[in-house]
Parts: sequence; C-alpha cells; structure tokens
Amino acid sequence: MVVRSEESRRSALSKLVSAGLGLITAGLAGLVGLVAAPKASATTRRWRAAASIFDLPPKDPFTAVLADKHADGWYETRKEQVVFIDREGDGYRAMSATCAHLGCRVRWESSRQQFLCPCHGGVYDREGRVVSGPPPRGLERVAVRVNPQTSDIEVEL
Amino acid sequence: MNRLVRGMLAWLEDRTGYRGLRRHLLDEPLPPGTGWWFTLGSVLLFGLGVQVVTGIALALFYAPTPDHAWDSVRYISSGVRGGAFVRGLHHWGASVVVVAAVVHMIRVVFFGSYRKPRELNWIVGLMLLLVILAFGLTGYLLPWDQRAYWATVVTINIARLSPGVGEAMATLMRGGADIGALTLTRWYAAHVLVLPPALALLTIVHLYLMRRHGISGPVRPRLGASRPFFPYQAARDLTMAAAVGVLLAVLAWKGAPALEPPADPTSSDYVPRPEWYFLGLFQLLKYFPGRWEIVGALIVPGVVGLWLFLLPWIDRGRTREWRGRRVVLSLFTAGLAAVVALTILGASDKPASQSSTWTIREQGGAVLALSSDRCVSCHGPDKVASAIEPGRIGKSANWLAAHVEDPEVIAPGIREAPKTNDTENKSMVAALAKLRTGPPPALDAGLRRVYTVLAQHCLECHKIDGTGGTDGPDLTHAGEKLDAGTIELRIIDPKQVKADAEMPSFRDKLSLEDIRAVAGWLAGRK
Repeated sequence: MVVRSEESRRSALSKLVSAGLGLITAGLAGLVGLVAAPKASATTRRWRAAASIFDLPPKDPFTAVLADKHADGWYETRKEQVVFIDREGDGYRAMSATCAHLGCRVRWESSRQQFLCPCHGGVYDREGRVVSGPPPRGLERVAVRVNPQTSDIEVEL
Repeated sequence: MNRLVRGMLAWLEDRTGYRGLRRHLLDEPLPPGTGWWFTLGSVLLFGLGVQVVTGIALALFYAPTPDHAWDSVRYISSGVRGGAFVRGLHHWGASVVVVAAVVHMIRVVFFGSYRKPRELNWIVGLMLLLVILAFGLTGYLLPWDQRAYWATVVTINIARLSPGVGEAMATLMRGGADIGALTLTRWYAAHVLVLPPALALLTIVHLYLMRRHGISGPVRPRLGASRPFFPYQAARDLTMAAAVGVLLAVLAWKGAPALEPPADPTSSDYVPRPEWYFLGLFQLLKYFPGRWEIVGALIVPGVVGLWLFLLPWIDRGRTREWRGRRVVLSLFTAGLAAVVALTILGASDKPASQSSTWTIREQGGAVLALSSDRCVSCHGPDKVASAIEPGRIGKSANWLAAHVEDPEVIAPGIREAPKTNDTENKSMVAALAKLRTGPPPALDAGLRRVYTVLAQHCLECHKIDGTGGTDGPDLTHAGEKLDAGTIELRIIDPKQVKADAEMPSFRDKLSLEDIRAVAGWLAGRK
C-alpha cells in the first residue's frame, strides 16, 4: 500500500475539483451554445407567378412583390420578396431587388433609367450591372419563365 | 433615539464591517492636481446608471415580437404616464454614454494614463467601449421600425463579410435564415440579459484596477499633499453629473425620439440611416467599391481597433509629457479628425427622401379614406375591420395598393366592397402611405370639398403643384388665363368651349356645388 502524504492528496484533490468545475462550466456553455445555434433551414425554391405579361409597363421594369407564408420560429408571417421583371429580347428577365453590397432594397429610378440603392449609393443599369458605387457584383438574376396557359410570368424563388 | 441608531449601526459594523469598506471606497488619496479632467469616468458611470434605470422602466412595457414591438414602443410614447420622457432619456442617454466614453478615452490618451502599470485597465476600458457600442446596436433594433430593420440588415451583412466564419456569424445573429421574430428575441436577450452583466463585470474590474494602481494624476506630477476622493473630487463628479443630467433631461423633454413607420422589407421609399455614432462607419463603406468592401467594413475598423488595444506597448517612454509622444498623439488626433469628418459627411449626405408636406392628392385622398363612405363602411370602432388610425398603419405599400384596388382580396365575398374609381384609388393609396407618418393637416370645409374632387377626378390627367397626370394641361396657375365662369363651363361641357377637346364632360359625375367650388379655387391660382 502506498502511503500518500497530506500534501500530495491535497494537490490531487485540488486538480480534481478544478477539473470538475471546468466540466460543469463547459457542459453549461455547450448546452447554451447548442440551443443558441440556429437550426439549419432548408431553402425550397419553387416557381411562383410574379406578374401577368399584360402587367408590364411599356417603358419601365415591373416591380413585383411576392408574398409567401413563412414560418419564423414560433411566428407565422408572410415573407415578402421583391423582384424586377423586364423584357429581354423576345423573353423576360427577373432580378432580385436586394442590393449586392449590404442587402438594402434597390428601387427603379425611371428618370435615370437606373436602379439606385438608398443605403450606400450603389447604382445599377437596367440589366442589373454595376454602374457605380460599392456593390461588388450586379443584381442577382432569378430564373424566369412564362406559363402559356395563364400568361403569367413565373420566377423561381 | 440617537443612542438607538448608534447601537444599530455598531451592530451592523460588527456583523459586516461596512465602515472599513466605506473608508476604502471614499478615502482614496488622490495625487495633487487631480482636477476636472478626472470627472469624465464618473460622468460615464452616471450615464450608464440612467440607462439601467430607464431600461428597466421600458422593459415593463416592451414586447419583443414583430407584431407587437412597434405597437408597444408607440404605447410607451403615447399611453404610459411619463413614457415619452423615459424613452427620451434612454434614447439620448445612449448618445451621452457614447460621448462620455469617447471623451474619457481621449483624456486617457492625452494624459498617457495607459502607461505601465495601467495597460490592462486601458484594455478593459476599450472592451467597455465595445460593450457600449453593442448596446447601441442591439438597442435600436428593438422598436422594429424602418430604421431598426434596415440598420440590422446592413449590420448583419457586414458580419457576413468576415472571411471563413461570416455566414455562420450572420446566421447566429439572425437566429435563422432571415431577419424576423427570432432575430428580435435574440437581440432583445443580448440587450437585456447578456450585455448588462458583461458591462457590470467589466466596470467592476475597471474600477478595481483603477484603485489598485491609483489615479494617474496630472501629466507632470505636482508637489503637495494628496487629498481624499470624498468629498473633494466627489463634489466635482457630482457637479459634472448634475450638469449632464440637466442636459439629458432637456434633450429628452424637447426631442422625443422618432418612431418611424413599422419595419417593411419591401418598401422602396425609405432611406436607411444608422444612429449618429455609427455614421462614420456607414460613410466609410461608401469609399470601398466592389471586392474592396471588406476593407471599409472590417479591415480599417479592425486595424484602428488593434492599434488602440496595443497602444500601451506602442507608446512607451519615460515621461507622459506630450513632447516625447508626438507621433502617437498626432496619429490619434488624425484618427479622431477622420472619424469626425466621416460622421459629418455621413450626416450631410442625405439622398432625396419623401417630403413631409402633404400634396393635394394626399390630402384629398385622406379625406376619402378617413371620412367618406368608402373605407369607413368596413373600418371603424365597431365595424368588421379596425379603424384606420393615422400614424399606425402597419401594412406594406404594396399590400395597401392591392387592398384599395380590390378590398375583397382580404376576405372574398363576406361584405360588399364600395364602388370607387381608379383615380380616387390612387389618391387613397398615396394618402395611406402618408398617413403612416401621422394625421393629415386640418382643412376648412371649402378646401376639403375642392381637394376631394381633385383627388377623385382631376388629377388623373392634370398636374397641380407637381402631382397628377400629364394627359391634360398643368393647372397649377390656371387662374392666370381663365376666370371661374370659363373653367366652370369647361368642366360641365368641354366641347362647347373647344370643339376638339379630349376632356370628358363632368356634368353627370359632379354636383353643381362641387364644380363651382373647384372652378372658383382654380381661378384663384395665379
């Protein structure tokens, strides 16, 4: 049998208590972290009617607001997304209205024939290419098609 | 009596030893020459105290959910006794705290107070500044108005730029894929549960370290006896705190913080601007286009922050006098000047936003929406739908337009929709957008009638004071060429005045009184 001195017993117990406290702290922190980390959400894209082909104004792009039921945690809400629909050749193009810089909502300025961002002064041309200001890339293109039965322009969002 | 009190205090002293603590806290010896410059920390502490107390008062009424946050803040301002004042104190108190913290920091830099052995306290102070800014950032999401929403969009997108961990950080801040209910509860928890203990802990450490090493005192140590903190320096602290308190009360009394329209992710007429103390950072973002955006968003602020954290090791020398520290002090002053300049530039750079004056179309539309038989046939105190209240219209512009055009989209078939024409629909939509900001200006009976008719019929083709259609002539100065009689005739039977007139006759659409009123008003427009 090994005779342990009071000194070494004390130091062993000290380490044990410290380790125990550390474990409890880590466990609690881990639990909070587990709860606080958001759940991964599956993004489901689907085709949705954005406008009728008869809606498009003659000179300007059409600003379509698409509302959809949206579960935001416990809160049922309507998620609204804005897309610009425009003619392109024989077909159509659709672009997101979210600025590629820091996510503000850009608007069409008819008198300048450009999209302007109100936050940090980003400017895009009618095709969504950056003209000036801080955006790192153009407005995001959204897939678009025409439903021949309904004459609706549909976008994939 | 006196003996009884003394006895109780003696008992308390025996059980707690409070006199020793009081002596320790109040009798701290201060070096000679410790003057008004050393009151700034106490001013900051006072400001933080105001924030804690007013914050608790606000938390009694605030509801952190997207469908109630805005309304509960509006209720604090309009329905709670003293609520507007308390909210004003909390709002302006945030600015006072930021200013006091920065001025305190400037004092510390110019006095070289961060020098050995006070390096660690300088770092704790910088951490406190970051916590204060985090309070500001999380605090102004809470009203859930337009500024709250868009400032948060930008903040979270800045976090997203961080290399590698950006997306994870953004998701953690949002609490999900989008900014919404989970973001609001998260930021509320941070504002009232996470940050306050962090603030308290850092403040205690800051004060403890201050006492451990003592006050740094004037740059050039003076001869003389040290004096205790209480009551000499405490009197200065109290004077400064009282002055700042008066200023804060005046600000809260005179300038109630605005509550902008409720958050609307689709609105395009809103120009987002952050709180003034973030305007410098906001302005900086504009100068770094394309893939350089990370420079303005993270690298420049990061380098400045790192330089500040390392300052006690960058600026080492024998004396704390300015002469030996020219480089450091010049750099610091230049940095301050840059922040001030960026803030001023950011404040003056205001893109054209919606004007606050009501157009004729909006005023006429407001009469139609609020008091004709159109909207109020369903909206009212004891009707199927709640009353339209100026200043608290929460639906988005697109929703309002769709609903005015076809009221039944909300609930098809359950009630009869009022008959309206396109022109008055457009006017009512314009009015509803404006009614978000508050009630329309009061009109006398004559103008009410005229504006209503204009908003219902004329503005489709004619422009007056810059609003309206362009198919017909601009009527802003109609009275210069035509008298009331001629205008009246033109409205009743345009073809009789001009054979090829395209304008339709309004004989059957308007009453004679309406036509006379409009003609008389137009003839007066010179």
